[in-house]
Amino acid sequence: MKIWIIVERSGPELRRVSRELAAKAAEMGEATALEVTGLERYSALPAVAALTEKAKSGAPDLVLVGATPMGRDLGARLAARLEWAYAADCTGVAPEAGAVVVTRGMYADKVRAEVRVGLPAVVTVRANAFALAEGAQPPEVAPVPADPSVDTLAFARFEPTASTGAKVPLAEARVVVSGGRGLRGPENWHLVEELADSLGAGLGASRAVTDAGWRPNEEQVGQTGKSVAPDLYIAVGISGAIQHLAGMTSSRTIVAINRDPDADIFKVCDYGVVADALQFIPAFTAAVKKAKASA
Amino acid sequence: MKLLVCLKQVPDSTVRVKVGADGRSIATDGIAWAISPYDEYALELALEHKDGDPSVTVSAVSVGPARARDALRAALAMGCDDATFVTGAGAEGLGGLATARVLAKVVAEAAPDVVLCGRQASDDDQGFVGPALAEVLGWPHVSTATKLAVAGDALEVWKEVEGGHEVWTAPRPVVLTVQKSEKEPRYPSLPGIMKAKRKEIPEKDAATLAADLSSPAMEVSSLEPPAARGGGKILRDGDTAALAEELVGLLRREAKVL
Ligand SMILES: Cc1cc2nc3c(=O)[nH]c(=O)nc-3n(C[C@H](O)[C@H](O)[C@H](O)COP(=O)(O)OP(=O)(O)OC[C@H]3O[C@@H](n4cnc5c(N)ncnc54)[C@H](O)[C@@H]3O)c2cc1C
Ligand SMILES: Nc1ncnc2c1ncn2[C@@H]1O[C@H](COP(=O)(O)O)[C@@H](O)[C@H]1O
Repeated sequence: MKIWIIVERSGPELRRVSRELAAKAAEMGEATALEVTGLERYSALPAVAALTEKAKSGAPDLVLVGATPMGRDLGARLAARLEWAYAADCTGVAPEAGAVVVTRGMYADKVRAEVRVGLPAVVTVRANAFALAEGAQPPEVAPVPADPSVDTLAFARFEPTASTGAKVPLAEARVVVSGGRGLRGPENWHLVEELADSLGAGLGASRAVTDAGWRPNEEQVGQTGKSVAPDLYIAVGISGAIQHLAGMTSSRTIVAINRDPDADIFKVCDYGVVADALQFIPAFTAAVKKAKASA
Repeated sequence: MKLLVCLKQVPDSTVRVKVGADGRSIATDGIAWAISPYDEYALELALEHKDGDPSVTVSAVSVGPARARDALRAALAMGCDDATFVTGAGAEGLGGLATARVLAKVVAEAAPDVVLCGRQASDDDQGFVGPALAEVLGWPHVSTATKLAVAGDALEVWKEVEGGHEVWTAPRPVVLTVQKSEKEPRYPSLPGIMKAKRKEIPEKDAATLAADLSSPAMEVSSLEPPAARGGGKILRDGDTAALAEELVGLLRREAKVL
């Protein structure tokens, strides 16, 4: 099977998900890592035009892209242009005769589906779906030059979200600390950030919190936010509404901190602490630091 | 300015989705249906423009089985001017590309300045139909939009990306996939509901739209509920520092995640 991986960078480095895909593709078949170049900022039309042209001669069976905002934008439009099958946001990809069987969430991630996708196909894959061996060499990347003049959209400006304090991108984090309305207000978020820092964690939030403007929308976890499946998910002051659970119940270990012993979040957690979050988090952060220092 | 919102009816967000007897679709008996949440945001974003400028018209379109008419009725009750329903045997079980081709026929007839889709439908979670519709139409698209402003003949679109928003200048017509509206989606007002009841929703038969209804091969072979959870260890008594130490100990030695 001939597989292309369309890579993405974060600064000068390849994104982890791109490296995960390159490593996985090398196990599955003849893998080539490609990077769209010549654009100051990613835009679908020029990127898709360049990749379509290359696909004509290169004829890959499978194109893999990280399920990042860029990847999901590019993957969808590229598949539509090529009239190939398209599967989004997958967590598993297994080759079969003339097809790949992908694993992915459906119904707002409330169920796991196995989907048989005919080849050729474009598939976007979540970060952390495939393991990356310690010290694995990044793949060699071939440029695919794009022509910015085919774009009919023009980039005007970037408006950064007021500094979020997040040091690890939520989608790629192995540990996530999410805060809910139980934290009372944005002025208490330093507690969540300190806990996240002590764990090297990404920051998440419930929709009550993003709707109230306490935290930026991009941190929202759940049905209308991000779906995450880290090794450790810590929900602080979150009640556990079904729409929130949709985005995090596939996490390996779930910790819930809530002062209401009947909160629904305790029904899905592996470890729960019935306590006032504002008092418990500083103690938790201190205990984590102590444990890490003695490791 | 003419805005057209594409919306899909999906199981309501409060539904505990269960796998059906065939093991590859969900059990739909007695479940509640609703406009897909991101499509509600798309509607809200469009209606906010109408609030500010009454010359703006907002139309809605949905492709689906008979029950999906209710979603359009709800969109009218929220304040849409008109709605088009594409249904019939041909409209059921359509693949993403075929759905985009069918929607493109409706768009070509309505000739809107902006088509708004949801970022993804909360049933297949694909996020494909918006960009695919733009592709079939030969229009540009901007995904994960959160805001739209008129800038002369052009439009400015805010696109949510990691770390902030990119603002793009887009020509008309353009397709947007919507991530979130500025305000929460409005509830239908009582007069809105009464008015919507009287409005006719013209129906089109998907099979007669001269759209190619085939899509690349893709088939769900099995559905599985998420692994059952529960029976977690609940810590509650003792002083805060002791509880914290206990939790860290469990995370290290038992869960091995620290
Ligand atoms: C279509 C749709 C889509 C949605 N999508 C999402 C989504 O993507 N993500 C999402 O999160 N929600 C989503 N929601 C909203 C969801 O239904 C809930 O309203 C939301 O998750 C509640 O957030 P919360 O748990 O922070 O707040 P609440 O439900 O208000 O819970 C606060 C919790 O904090 C606890 N608490 C209070 N004070 C303390 C304290 N001092 N210490 C410890 N605990 C305390 C309380 O006991 C309570 O359990 C969606 C809803 C709809 C209708
Ligand atoms: N059957 C449909 N009828 C109308 N709009 C649809 C339909 N299917 C998808 N869409 C639109 O396309 C978006 C993305 O859908 P999907 O690719 O299925 O995730 C949805 O949020 C809707 O705006």
